[in-house]
Amino acid sequence: MQRADAHPYMPQPVRLERVERLTEKESLFVFPRPQGFGFTPGQFIMVGLAGYGEAPISISSPPSEKSMVELCIRRVGSLTTILHRLRAGDTIWIRGPFGRGFPTERMHGKDILFIAGGIGLVPLRSLIKEVLAEREDYGRLTLLYGVKSPKEILFEEELELWQKAGVDVRLTIDRAYPGWKGNVGVVTTLIPQVDIDEDNSVCCIVGPPVMYKYVILSLGNRSVRGEDIYLSLERKMKCGMGKCGHCQINSIYTCEEGPVFTLQEIRHLPEAI
Amino acid sequence: MASYFVDKKGFLAFLKGILEKYPLYGTVERDGFPVFKKIEEPEELVLSAKPTHLSPKEFLFPPRELLLRFNLEDGKAEPVVEAREQVIMGLHPCDIHAIGLLDRVFSHGRGDVNYLERRKKTILIGTECLPDEFCFCQSLGTMDADEGFDLFFHELKRGYLVRVGTERGRRLLKRYTKPEKAAQKHLEEVKAHREKKLKGFTRCLDARKEELPLVYAGSYEHPLWERIGSICYGCGSCNHVCPTCYCFDVRDDVTLDLKEARRYRVWDGCTLEDFAKVAGGHNFRKDRSERLRHRFNRKFRYLADRFDGLFCVGCGRCSRACLVGINITDVTNELIKDAKS
Repeated sequence: MQRADAHPYMPQPVRLERVERLTEKESLFVFPRPQGFGFTPGQFIMVGLAGYGEAPISISSPPSEKSMVELCIRRVGSLTTILHRLRAGDTIWIRGPFGRGFPTERMHGKDILFIAGGIGLVPLRSLIKEVLAEREDYGRLTLLYGVKSPKEILFEEELELWQKAGVDVRLTIDRAYPGWKGNVGVVTTLIPQVDIDEDNSVCCIVGPPVMYKYVILSLGNRSVRGEDIYLSLERKMKCGMGKCGHCQINSIYTCEEGPVFTLQEIRHLPEAI
Repeated sequence: MASYFVDKKGFLAFLKGILEKYPLYGTVERDGFPVFKKIEEPEELVLSAKPTHLSPKEFLFPPRELLLRFNLEDGKAEPVVEAREQVIMGLHPCDIHAIGLLDRVFSHGRGDVNYLERRKKTILIGTECLPDEFCFCQSLGTMDADEGFDLFFHELKRGYLVRVGTERGRRLLKRYTKPEKAAQKHLEEVKAHREKKLKGFTRCLDARKEELPLVYAGSYEHPLWERIGSICYGCGSCNHVCPTCYCFDVRDDVTLDLKEARRYRVWDGCTLEDFAKVAGGHNFRKDRSERLRHRFNRKFRYLADRFDGLFCVGCGRCSRACLVGINITDVTNELIKDAKS
């Protein structure tokens, strides 16, 4: 997207075509895909507003979606609060994409177990939709998705579509909730319920920092190998180019080497998980 | 490398010449210490052998630097590169090594136009120094600078021996002075100064520099981190004065007339509380001990892997500036001692 000689901090303006409220805290921001904007699922862009700054946001639509780019953004910090006031027709500034996403080519022919916690479904949605676009290239697909309460379930209609397209979608909520008939408990409680072929599976995990440790333990109990476990790690990011220092996990820069890593790659880093 | 002799008159002529053509940043004496500042008159500049408290990195990597302007009236944005020709004079060998490291950082991957443009237009002039009670560059191979500068002045009894590092430096020297070829006696004076310098160190590291990444790798759980973390103020002084600390934040502000927004970067420091804190409040390095450990590991291990060189140049500035007396040589030597035992 950016020319080699262009200023590395120069963003490009994109006009929002649609802003859709998804939950109390999350909205979907949709804009036409700029020419030459190539990315892989799991990569992120810097989203900015003049005068308010930038924040790293993962892309929520799949690369196979040629016409639009979708960002699902939680209202959580100062910039995202302002972003949530925007409407169709407003302009945001984007820079990127940055980092390393999920290597779909290494998942061909394999079963994929997607594990999402809360807003972790956002980058995974890009991957799930990409995989479904080439469904025949992959084995069994399972999604374990945990949220705090039913009100926080994202992309509920799409979850049904994915189910119909052959994804074994399993939901859980952290605590019992009136009217909820599904599984109650953190996302790890779903892991023993699924059938995992440890010799032919990959797991893709995205969730809040606290989730990884427990999910990895559970997967370890199911004999899934470190090189078959992919995780996307959240860190503070300001430059996106391996310089500003904020996203560092011990010796590595999340914005360059990540945000998607195999467990193998980060197991030796005490700060990673 | 060619060496020349310039007498004191020639030196003043050189300064005058430079001042006519370039903004010059150099060392002056203030309260008994040398500080870098913009030089207005040639007589102001004092090439000092004493270390400066603040590093000269600010002239290449300003504490606040504009990156973009947004016109809020027409919605357009433009990148900003504020780089102009300048001369920095009075750099000690550790500073020259540090700038070499910053060059690697900012040309890594997608090059940082703002730094690199300024760097290209900056003439670096070094000078010889003597250690104080915090210096330990002799332990890190940064005591001498053989490259990385345009000119390097060794003060002699009756003038200066000038080493030429670049063609640009040679042209500059010849434009403003009539340098003679350095004589044997001049070279011997330089050699004698080096001996004196070597004898002046009161601190050193108790391991070879090649061993330090491993020493730090093996000390991750060392109780020292808790101990120094418990006294650290988390003030960021060590980051601020360090010639190789380059972490930064990117921020926006809006002009008072609301016509323009500006995106700029400001120095940041990994020992500051919010450094690794994300929106929503999770802090990936909450404790001061974790942040200190991170900083020390960056200097001796993390960045060594990434940029093929230790990121400590032995200038002692972090120790000199620390409000609670955390000393980088004491810390490192304690880890070395325990790693070897």
